[in-house]
Amino acid sequence: MRGQRPSTGREMEVDMGLIVKTMARVTIPFIGIFGAYIVMHGHLTPGGGFQGGSTLAGAGILFLVAFGLKEAEKKVNKKVYSALEGVGGLVFLGAALLGFSVAFFYNTLWHNGPFFNGKPGTLLSAGFLPIMNLAVGLKVFSGFVAVAVSIAAFRRWRG
Amino acid sequence: MSTIHTVLPLIVVLPLLGAFSSPILDLISRKLKEAWILAISAGTLGVTGYVFYYVFKNGPLLYTMGATNPFGHANFPIRIVWEIDMFNALMALTVAFVSLMAIIYSVEYMKRDTGLEKYYPLILILELGMLGIVVTGDLFNFYVFLEIMSIASYALVAFRNDTWEGIEAGVKYMMVGALASSFILLGIALLYGQYGTLTMAYIAYKMAGHMTTTAKVALALLMAGLLFKSGSVPVHMWLADAHPAAPSSVSAMLSGLVIKAGGIYILARILFSIYGPSINVRTVGWIVIIFACLTLIVGNAMAVVQTDMKRLLAYSSVGQMGYILLGVGIGLAAYGSNVGNLALAGAIYHTVNHALMKALLFLIAGAVIHALGTRNLNDLSGIAKTMPVTSFAFIIGAAAIIGMPPLNGFASKWILYESSALFNPVIGAIAIIGTAFCTAAYVRVIYTFFGRPNSLTMKAKDPGKSMLIPIIILTVAIIVMGLFPWTINKDFMLPAAKALVNQMGYIHTLFAGGV
Repeated sequence: MRGQRPSTGREMEVDMGLIVKTMARVTIPFIGIFGAYIVMHGHLTPGGGFQGGSTLAGAGILFLVAFGLKEAEKKVNKKVYSALEGVGGLVFLGAALLGFSVAFFYNTLWHNGPFFNGKPGTLLSAGFLPIMNLAVGLKVFSGFVAVAVSIAAFRRWRG
Repeated sequence: MSTIHTVLPLIVVLPLLGAFSSPILDLISRKLKEAWILAISAGTLGVTGYVFYYVFKNGPLLYTMGATNPFGHANFPIRIVWEIDMFNALMALTVAFVSLMAIIYSVEYMKRDTGLEKYYPLILILELGMLGIVVTGDLFNFYVFLEIMSIASYALVAFRNDTWEGIEAGVKYMMVGALASSFILLGIALLYGQYGTLTMAYIAYKMAGHMTTTAKVALALLMAGLLFKSGSVPVHMWLADAHPAAPSSVSAMLSGLVIKAGGIYILARILFSIYGPSINVRTVGWIVIIFACLTLIVGNAMAVVQTDMKRLLAYSSVGQMGYILLGVGIGLAAYGSNVGNLALAGAIYHTVNHALMKALLFLIAGAVIHALGTRNLNDLSGIAKTMPVTSFAFIIGAAAIIGMPPLNGFASKWILYESSALFNPVIGAIAIIGTAFCTAAYVRVIYTFFGRPNSLTMKAKDPGKSMLIPIIILTVAIIVMGLFPWTINKDFMLPAAKALVNQMGYIHTLFAGGV
């Protein structure tokens, strides 16, 4: 860091200028779509909830870095994101408990329907796996975004 | 589909539910969240109590994830199984009990802290990891739970991040823990490569007929990693930093439970249930005994010279882990004989006892810190006058850990002395020298407590209800367990030791669950 412009400790609060902001505006929707695709095809192609969720969080973190903390804090409430992470976990747990009458993690949707029991290889197949991927995607996305915003907000060591 | 199969998965479902729902409840009200966490933790204790009762009455239990039997259409197990005998059930009950005590204690102890929205989920995840480790019968499932437990404890050690002590200890713990975890993972990978399965009982079955060098290397790696995790002596340095730096309720769980569930329990399970008689039990047993002797001498001796109360307790934990390791080592070296079973029963007994005693002592250290703001022994002189209940509980805990006759520590230590003396008199002598150091350390603290009060200690007073209740419950548990030592040993500890030694029974449970 030596030899550069002295740090004020407030770099995160301001945006990164017009060029970066314009590029971010263009790319964020595409990153989001790609992340959603990875999450939804988790049971068909490589990737899944964690990978897709991280990609989605990449869009959020790009927004934070390009537009600055002030702009991001208008959009991100840390507590709500923390709660959303909990919702993701609870949905995962709920999906695991669906077949509880047979066993924990029993894939009753796949065996008995009524949905997600299509032909293997199609989008609506694999029972609880798509639900779990969505839940993990939500958990990872909200968790990473909350972490990034917290790191930006609670930076204590200046200079 | 019997009741037990419906109830058993709740062991991990309940803490997970509590951990995930607590940030949502946090949006509503803090009181509600605390009540919810307490209810979850009490429910977990109820479930483990029921499982323990069931296993005690009906023998070992097999549970398959995601289906009714572990086999599917194959003739070998392909699913994750949980396998619970007396030994696991006892450990699970201890974990749930001490965790509940630590959580009740936290309500008041952590009242003035910020960041509680992370604290309660983390402490439930720590409990979940330990419960998962003790119920699982699958090596990779064990590894996942081990990491869940370890990462929660790294975060909890560094919880007081306004001091450098916590952060330094947390980072150190994380480095050492990650190194140990990678040893363990490598060992598991080698076993999987060699035998093509991760189910512990099935590995044991295949290993009995076909022992290879790879499996022996895997054993060395697993033992190295688990000795790290249990704070055995050449690699105990992280423990003495990490356990004092955490908040006291967490220290109680770390010292009382984490080093046992994530270290000794799984080490014993791997040594006895997976390897068992397939290896040269005398050699491996003696390796464990040598580490144990080093641990119990160095740990207890280091405890004598500490001036920081929590550091003293942490070193004492190292020393007591030495006794437990000694029991495991003799149990392995004298595999199958009466001396071996007795030593193993002593080790299991001491594991349970030490969980209660060390949890009690750390909770008391927390009460002292809460009242005085210091844990330097030189400033605590005369605390017995102003904090009578706490000091009385400390005397009970210290006497139990030294091994004074009417308390629970006496029975387990006596069994360990007896079996080690029968096995080899020199080891018996070493065990008693360790206790001499341990006595010196604790007598010094008690002497300080009864000294002349200074201006600081005159203002101290006993903590409030939520901190006092767990202290009293643990004290009563220690006294009551001390009243029936031989019944407990005969009815619970010896059957647990025999279940651990009975490798054929462990394998049989898996295959019987398959039909």
